[in-house]
Amino acid sequence: MTTPTFSDKFDRRTIIKGAAAAGVLQVASPFIIKARGETPIRIGMVDPLTGNFAATGQNEVAGAKLAIEQINSKGGIIGRPTELLVEDSASDVGIGVQKARKLIDRDQVTFLIGDVNSAIAQALAQITNEKRMLHIVSGGHTDPITGKDCKWNVYRVCNTTRMECNSVADILFKKYGKKWHFITPDYAFGHTLQQGFEINLKRLGGTMTGNELTPLGTTDYSAYLIKARATSPDVLIVLPQGDAMVNCLKQIVQFGLHKQMAIAGAQQELESLEALPPEARIGIWMFEWYWKQPGVPHVQEFVAEIRKRNGGKVPTARHWFGYTSAMTFALVANREKTIDSVKLAQALGDFELPAEVKLQPNKCYYRKGDHQLMTSAFVGEAQSSGKDDPEDLYRVDQVIAGDTTSPPVSETGCTLQWPT
Amino acid sequence: MTQLLLFNITNGLIIGAFYVLMALGLSLILNLSNVINFAHGGFLVVGGYIAYTITPYVGFWGALLIAPPLTAAIGLAVERVLIRPLYGRDPLYSLLLTFGLAFIIEDGTRFIWGAQGKPVTIPTFLGQPLSYDFFFITGYRLFMVIVVVITVALLFVLLRYTRLGIRIRAGTLDLETVSALGVNVRMLRSLNFAVGIFLAGLSGVLAAGQLGLEPTMGTGLLMPSFIAIIVGGVGSLPGTLLGGLLIGVASGMTAVFFPAASEAIMYVLMAVVLLIRPRGLLGEEGMLT
Repeated sequence: MTTPTFSDKFDRRTIIKGAAAAGVLQVASPFIIKARGETPIRIGMVDPLTGNFAATGQNEVAGAKLAIEQINSKGGIIGRPTELLVEDSASDVGIGVQKARKLIDRDQVTFLIGDVNSAIAQALAQITNEKRMLHIVSGGHTDPITGKDCKWNVYRVCNTTRMECNSVADILFKKYGKKWHFITPDYAFGHTLQQGFEINLKRLGGTMTGNELTPLGTTDYSAYLIKARATSPDVLIVLPQGDAMVNCLKQIVQFGLHKQMAIAGAQQELESLEALPPEARIGIWMFEWYWKQPGVPHVQEFVAEIRKRNGGKVPTARHWFGYTSAMTFALVANREKTIDSVKLAQALGDFELPAEVKLQPNKCYYRKGDHQLMTSAFVGEAQSSGKDDPEDLYRVDQVIAGDTTSPPVSETGCTLQWPT
Repeated sequence: MTQLLLFNITNGLIIGAFYVLMALGLSLILNLSNVINFAHGGFLVVGGYIAYTITPYVGFWGALLIAPPLTAAIGLAVERVLIRPLYGRDPLYSLLLTFGLAFIIEDGTRFIWGAQGKPVTIPTFLGQPLSYDFFFITGYRLFMVIVVVITVALLFVLLRYTRLGIRIRAGTLDLETVSALGVNVRMLRSLNFAVGIFLAGLSGVLAAGQLGLEPTMGTGLLMPSFIAIIVGGVGSLPGTLLGGLLIGVASGMTAVFFPAASEAIMYVLMAVVLLIRPRGLLGEEGMLT
């Protein structure tokens, strides 16, 4: 008996037939092949990883990354794997715009998230509107984004500045006094924030003793604090954010002003409180999300997941912004079974976030009329050190629902123009 | 209003004193080596972070003593490896190098210590105002002014009465002749650079006690220091001293009448001085040309 050789088993004709069959198989069974070679859905994210807002930007990115992991573990977006492409805006409008164009034109992203900086977020909204792309502003608070400059394709997760002011104004007036003085950062965010407080102050019948417009990047606040103290206000409203907030609060405490007047403001962030020495963790504020919410479903799981990835540190509101922004795309696209931006933008109107994403006690939904997320305000006071956890630097006194703090759509100035 | 103005002039002098400390380091390096050190703010940040890191072990006072020389040692290594090969070339080369170095230091600190600011605690007795009326004169700010005065005095003694100082001053005027007289110019430049970076490190430790310590902290403090040098006159250390105090006062006064322009006023002041007296208030004609 002879052993068959390779040439006995596979002659030339057999190989040609096999190759032809393999070719036919490619055409005849496209679904199998497509499932393996499916191009991923790309979500672009423009946020500051360097520069003044790097700490908050990096946390938003970390939150979005967790969302992408979870989205992919549950089958991706309409069955396709999902990728997050991150670009650094470096807290600079020009760079942010350039990076967004790169993500859209070269990397062909389907959706866009960003930016922490209000001015960059506004510029990005202009670009995504030109490109007809669904865009979620994760952390830029200035009112016009979902107000007079609102766009059909742009939704926002973080609060508007007006929502922030509305959440704390009454408490400050009733508990601490009616004469307010402002330290206001001189850019879009600061201006709208102060405007929001002024509207509330007028409504309540209080007086503004003055305002100090401080240039972006101010490090020394002493001259402004000298002027503010001379007007003897009941409440000093501190509106700068990030590193500027840290500098301002440190100087307020060293000057002893917190013993002479109430120190307060709108938005406060865990990133800033952690950067302050214990004695300077003072004031009445609102947090946009807080990690310690006993009894609220899924919050503990989220905190544990972030802690695993963040060197044991708890999530901040910025982690939640990034997480919610990315999750929103997946939730709405999977429900509508499409990635068409116009259809998804329409579907997001009045879209309610599920418990495992909203991570707060109140109802949380994107309002149809202005595309603003109706998210809660966590009003309370900074504390020098945590009782049970060193990162518990804030005491939440009230959690106010977003549709209570937000002015009605008719007052936002938003008129959505949908593409024909 | 008079009281407010008086307060702001005093406050401006305190702020100006801090600018002086940083500007003197910049000025020393610029005068002898023609290096426009854009990384000076970066070295300031390094000084602050070193202090933050060692404070739990050696306390605030220990950090104040140890961090500046450690920063100077890092500066010395940078000078030896990166800057020394560029001496004798167009100053643009070293300007570009230090410009890039500033970004590298900023990203390096972010990589090591993270993007989030770090809390620096100062001794409790310094963190209080000295009186209710002069609330802006805190123990810490007064301490900073004292440190600046001592540093300026020591620098004056060093430059005036020590062999190293006399050589540095001579080198500022004519480095070639100093070299021809047998002075080791390489060593002179290295030591001078180290003294300049020592001052940056000292500024960093002091700034971290009053401001938020984060990787971009130096950026906001660098430009006023450059302006102080230009206003005072390139090549003149007394000019730098005067320039720093002037821009501090100008900034403080502007905050009373037009707060939004309190930073811009420094640039206006610089433009006016350059128009009227291009060499700066105490500068000598022909320096850095």
